[in-house]
Amino acid sequence: MSALQFELPHRLEAHEPPEARGLARDEVRLLVARKRTGHVAHAQFRDLPAFLAPGDLVVVNASATLPAALPGRLADGSDVELRLSTAVPHRAPERWRIVELRDGERPFLGARTGDVVSLPDDARAELVAPYAGSRRLWLARLELSQPFSSYLEQHGHPIRYGYVPTEWPLALYQNVYADEPGSAEMASAGRPFTTDLITRLVAHGIHVAPIVLHTGVSSPERNEPPYAETYRVPEGTARLVNAVHGWGGRVIAVGTTVVRALETVAQQDGTVVAGEGWTNLVVCAECGVRTVDGLITGWHEPEASHLQMLQALAQEEILEKSYRAALDHGYLWHEFGDSHLILP
Amino acid sequence: MPTGIVTGASRGLGLALTRALVERGWRIVADARGRSDLERAWAGVAGVVTVGGDVADPDHRRALVEAAGDPIELLVNNASLLGPSPLPPLAEYPLDELRRVIDVNVTAPLALVQLALPRLARGARIVNVTSDAAVEAYEGWGGYGSSKAALEQMTSILAAEQPELRVYTVDPGDMRTQMHQEAFPGEDISDRPPPEDSVPGLLELIEGDLPSGRYKAHELAPVRA
Repeated sequence: MSALQFELPHRLEAHEPPEARGLARDEVRLLVARKRTGHVAHAQFRDLPAFLAPGDLVVVNASATLPAALPGRLADGSDVELRLSTAVPHRAPERWRIVELRDGERPFLGARTGDVVSLPDDARAELVAPYAGSRRLWLARLELSQPFSSYLEQHGHPIRYGYVPTEWPLALYQNVYADEPGSAEMASAGRPFTTDLITRLVAHGIHVAPIVLHTGVSSPERNEPPYAETYRVPEGTARLVNAVHGWGGRVIAVGTTVVRALETVAQQDGTVVAGEGWTNLVVCAECGVRTVDGLITGWHEPEASHLQMLQALAQEEILEKSYRAALDHGYLWHEFGDSHLILP
Repeated sequence: MPTGIVTGASRGLGLALTRALVERGWRIVADARGRSDLERAWAGVAGVVTVGGDVADPDHRRALVEAAGDPIELLVNNASLLGPSPLPPLAEYPLDELRRVIDVNVTAPLALVQLALPRLARGARIVNVTSDAAVEAYEGWGGYGSSKAALEQMTSILAAEQPELRVYTVDPGDMRTQMHQEAFPGEDISDRPPPEDSVPGLLELIEGDLPSGRYKAHELAPVRA
């Protein structure tokens, strides 16, 4: 059986932030996989500068996490959780959202077009239309009693799945470099970075540059394609990617969101241009990647669409070796877990 | 920029040697068990990357070699374990401690050599740091001394087996280091020279053209007054 079709044991799920386990963010484990040699090595995330070289570029997603989960109630009295996912093209992001309804651990599938979800403080969300043929995602019109961000600050909490039993403050769901609120869920590949680690990267001549991609909810039903998300690749980052490739450096994406954004603006020849807007790009094993050389990511569940993306970047053989080693060595999965560095 | 690995590089001889190598244009992957000491020692030094961990841990050794990349020009096995302090006579030497001393001082250096071998450049240097306790019968030094004796013999045989490499054991001499203080707890060791005084001798091995063998650092280069 392929190591990519594993059963994830409960004990390998990170149930709380590493800080709650007595570790600093950058003290989570780092499995380093090299495609060229087929070797894997075990280190700590804070050893990262040792595995990169002067002139390499680390690209991070500077999107900050919204407290995107709101307690709601339908007209028939059933309690649901309303989760704000992505914004909607051509509509004001404070008024229109793709939303997911949840009933505890499961998607709530009992809503109908036109239903209204009552939210705290006399706010409401009208389910205008099912989104992309889904039964759990809706196009919703929000009527909030305060400006969007202050309403969420007051009534929302970070989206959380069953493997995290208790609620943690929003600050634990923010990357240290997060700058622009808009993600439904944390772009968690960047979570182990600390200001100290970034300082050490810079001191070693390793460049760091941002993109912004606001994530939607991550709980896609099986075989549901990734939906459109908003992204921005700034001019400075695009030029830096091209310059780094020009001198033989490597472009290391922090998270699959960064891969999606960079590959969206990548040309045939691997150069990138600045850009912003909506991306529908699906990075898959067959399509490969044009501009991203390496990836820092978490550990993904079997059959997650993220695993598909990894296969665009690396041969199945080295991925299998990585996942087998991670399972054998007790690496932790999910947003509060350990990390995986895939190098050329 | 040639790349080397120096173990035990957070203090003492490893610290002094790494500092000298970086000044001479080396890129060094620095190891030490105490991560925070290691990172503090090398904060802001662009030529040194740190990978913290215990050389007795196979995963950590693999990480060191992966961080070094390919080719590797230098491996300095400097990290050593003194054993219990104060040093116990052999009649009372705790055997678990002895196993651990041998693991760190003998097995780990060989394991690193084995991992590095496929990546060692032609003429690459392997420098194993030893002690006069490997040849002199100092009371209390039975554990450490016999581990260093084993390391020396291993190094000699490795040199015979790998003629295209330069394989050295080097005795740095007495030094004013934390390890030396642990060997003589409560004693004033301020008369011992600092580890920096042993560095020129090591550099002579690393950058010179001496045949494989056992050397004393202070005989290779004159000690500063």
